[in-house]
Amino acid sequence: MLPAILRPFIVSLAPLLIALCLTAISSAPLRAESFAEVTRLARGQTVYFNAWGGSPSINAYIGWAGEQLKQRYGITLVHVKLTDTSEAVSRILAEKVAGKSSGGSVDLIWVNGENFASLKRDGLLRADDWAFGLPSFAYTDSKTLPAILSDFAVPTDGQESPWGRAQLVFAYDSRYAETPPRSAAALAKWIGANPGRFSYPQPPDFTGTSFLKQIALELAPDRSVFMMPAETADKDAALGPLWQWLETVHPDLWRGGTSYPANYTDMVQLLGDGELSFAMAFNPAEFSNGIASGVLPETVRSYIHQGGTLANVHFVAIPFNASASEAARVTADFLLSPEAQLRKARADIWGDPTVLAMHRLPQDMQKAFTRVVRGPATLSEAELGRTLPEPHPSWVAVIEEGWNRRFLLR
Amino acid sequence: MAIMMKKQGMSLLLAKGARFLLFGLIAGPVIAGTLGIIVPAFGWFPPLGGVAFSLAPIQAVLDAPGIWQSVWLSLSTALLATGLSYFCVMMFLAVMWQRGGVRWLVRALAPLLSVPHITIAVGLLFLLQPSGWIARLISPALSGWERPPIFGIVPDDYGIALIFGLMVKEIPFLLLMALSGLNQLPAHQWIATSRSLGYGPVSSWCLIVQPNLAPRLLLAVLIVLIFCVSVVDMALILAPTTPPPLSLRVLSWFQDPDLSARFTASAGALFHVILAGVTVCLWLVLRRLCGIILRSVVRFGIRFQLLNISSRPLCFLGVMLVALPCAIGALGLGVSLVWSVAEVWRFPDTLPARWGLSAWSAGSVSLWDAAINTIVVGVSSAAIALCMVIVWCELTPAAYIKGQRKKITEIPFYIPLLVPQIAFLFGLQIMLVWLDLDGLYITLIWAHLLFVFPYVLLSLGPAWRRWDNRLDDVGAALGAGRIERLIRIKLPVLITPIMTSLAIGFAVSAALYLPTIFVGGGRIITLTTEAVTLASGAGRQNLGAATALQMALPLLIFLCADAVSRRRLSGTGSA
Repeated sequence: MLPAILRPFIVSLAPLLIALCLTAISSAPLRAESFAEVTRLARGQTVYFNAWGGSPSINAYIGWAGEQLKQRYGITLVHVKLTDTSEAVSRILAEKVAGKSSGGSVDLIWVNGENFASLKRDGLLRADDWAFGLPSFAYTDSKTLPAILSDFAVPTDGQESPWGRAQLVFAYDSRYAETPPRSAAALAKWIGANPGRFSYPQPPDFTGTSFLKQIALELAPDRSVFMMPAETADKDAALGPLWQWLETVHPDLWRGGTSYPANYTDMVQLLGDGELSFAMAFNPAEFSNGIASGVLPETVRSYIHQGGTLANVHFVAIPFNASASEAARVTADFLLSPEAQLRKARADIWGDPTVLAMHRLPQDMQKAFTRVVRGPATLSEAELGRTLPEPHPSWVAVIEEGWNRRFLLR
Repeated sequence: MAIMMKKQGMSLLLAKGARFLLFGLIAGPVIAGTLGIIVPAFGWFPPLGGVAFSLAPIQAVLDAPGIWQSVWLSLSTALLATGLSYFCVMMFLAVMWQRGGVRWLVRALAPLLSVPHITIAVGLLFLLQPSGWIARLISPALSGWERPPIFGIVPDDYGIALIFGLMVKEIPFLLLMALSGLNQLPAHQWIATSRSLGYGPVSSWCLIVQPNLAPRLLLAVLIVLIFCVSVVDMALILAPTTPPPLSLRVLSWFQDPDLSARFTASAGALFHVILAGVTVCLWLVLRRLCGIILRSVVRFGIRFQLLNISSRPLCFLGVMLVALPCAIGALGLGVSLVWSVAEVWRFPDTLPARWGLSAWSAGSVSLWDAAINTIVVGVSSAAIALCMVIVWCELTPAAYIKGQRKKITEIPFYIPLLVPQIAFLFGLQIMLVWLDLDGLYITLIWAHLLFVFPYVLLSLGPAWRRWDNRLDDVGAALGAGRIERLIRIKLPVLITPIMTSLAIGFAVSAALYLPTIFVGGGRIITLTTEAVTLASGAGRQNLGAATALQMALPLLIFLCADAVSRRRLSGTGSA
């Protein structure tokens, strides 16, 4: 078995040598190819788009994008539905380990934060700042939205293309909670008074971990430590208030904290059935969508904490060994186009806010964006104004590890 | 005489060759894949920077919070699910086998046998969770619940829901295996004899028939035990998560975005193999203990007269042990069907407030893709497995398999079912990627074959080996060659078991989750992978639609198989 383990290592060196030779021969940089050329090459390719598949409305939107790409560019888009993005990360890794430097199984991946940091660190992404070269990237402005260049404090370096904006938003059923608790302290008080009706998705679920980060940021005496890598910080001091908060509310959580909702869509269903009085999501329009589809009763409303809530940008990235890298770039460009972004922002479609800068858009598009209808349970842009920056991605592992140590055994 | 010896030698050689080939095809990948995790489990995996052997990965597994609770959960649910399933089947047969009607029940259980594990799990969830259908049925009128009650059932803290879910699937399987084993025993005579000695029907069964049946069932029981200890898809829905069973923890290490967790995952997988071994040993010890107790009961002539006083309630109890879990499982399937055509259905409505087919139209593209993939992979792997089993059985006459001189053993073919899936699939995945074979249809069919082949062999093998050679002799006397005899006599006569095992093969393939995601590279989705994805919250309506298709497809194949064999049988009858 040892040689079988060794061989991929040796095999992986061969393409590297070939690539070195090739770059020596043709010094023409990749950037020289025009996007029109990329679009021409993309025709007929199939893009395997690895994206979390747990939300019917997002799945339907990706289905629409696939139809458009087929019609306009002759690209077939296949949505590989993931239960967790790390599945795709692990697959790309398996391919790298086996020395598969082209013909990979993932062409485009929906990613941000910790997963991006991990992919970038291990060199698993296409790294020629392709994202900055997309025609639609001209509609963005990193001055008004710096997060499109820095994903959880990690520079994107053009290895991923922005897709949408997200902010942690809470929802409550007004039948069960008259005035929502708008801070960590108020929430703890409410949970103590109404045992069994609050919970959060179990880490390492993305939304669940984000909730913990939110509480940690709210309670921290000094937030700046979270902007630096966790290794350099005094972790116990930074996270102490979070653990204390959790210890206090834990006995009064849903099912006594012995089990948790699987993710935010699961929480939305539990809110709809009345098992929970609250839910949370990273999509401000999630709860209006829920009311529209009948999962949630019309008494549900959303709110955010007074001190602001976590906000971030989510991206699409292309693995280093994508089979259809041209079509993947065309897909990323289409997803960033004003037309696709406009549809995405509609509450009845997905309700995901755009990453485009209004002042860079043509007049008619600007108007169209102002006309986007917000649902009954969606906050206005002004109400969403208060945001908290994401901590450095290294904190995720620290928080998850600490949570596992304290709360996995109940 | 010498010619005959030579001919026998030839056929033995041929059989050994076939076994070698099959071994490479079926057991080879499992062994290679398992070896592929042992090396990284000790820290050596250069592509990830592990170039020195160390015990750190093992230490990381041992240091994981709650690891022993996870191990205990896996161990206890597996032993209890297997033990209770076995007990229920034996009690049922004890009271019912002599009365007849068993055949009819097995027919009724066939749908449950063919439905994937994940579908049963989803059905139980829809039925039993606090906002499930039973709570809806009694709310708010009877229970007074305006909101779902606050208690932790499905999933519960002890894995009871998981045990129950596993039982719903394993009881029909063990029942079928037991009936097939009973065909080879003179059980009716034994019972008659022991009853004439003053033992009741139940005692006769437990003391005489069961001990003789047990060795024949051992393989099936061990397959069930290993499946239960390493189950992933059903556990994702029904098992507790604080902490989850070992299989899920190993899977989450394999899927951790921090790539150094891969060492821990490999060590965890190795740990899981050891756990499976320990579970089997425990089972064998318990089995031996039960045997000793039963034998001493016989030795002292204890006749348990009490058990015979009122045989009607006893009979009822025996039937209920099998019928109740199966009925609850079936009811859950019914609720999933209702969800698939529901539009708005919130607690505490007993039936949907608004009906509709949106689940079938919105996510339908991928649903139909998944259905087609399920059919293609399932039918091809079942058909290939069937051909392989027939060729194998033809090459190895019963004499080599049975009897005192065991020249050929079939145990290696069951290795894929006797090693936890999670233990060899990552190693296998790396190997397939390296050979550039991952994500292809043909590879996925082969990976499914690893699991389909043993089940087809298990179901068709005994029927094939019972073949009456005199029919062959008649054919030979009429001048038919070996191939002609096979096609014109053997296949038509054995059409019913052949079609049944084809349908079982399909059902096995349709239910596979881990092999499909590891080998299919995520590109080939089946209804089972789709259902697991949807079960993580993407709308109960969509999940209902996926599970409805999961029920329909295997049932359709079963009905087709049944129709074909009936047609063939009636056709030969009239000719």
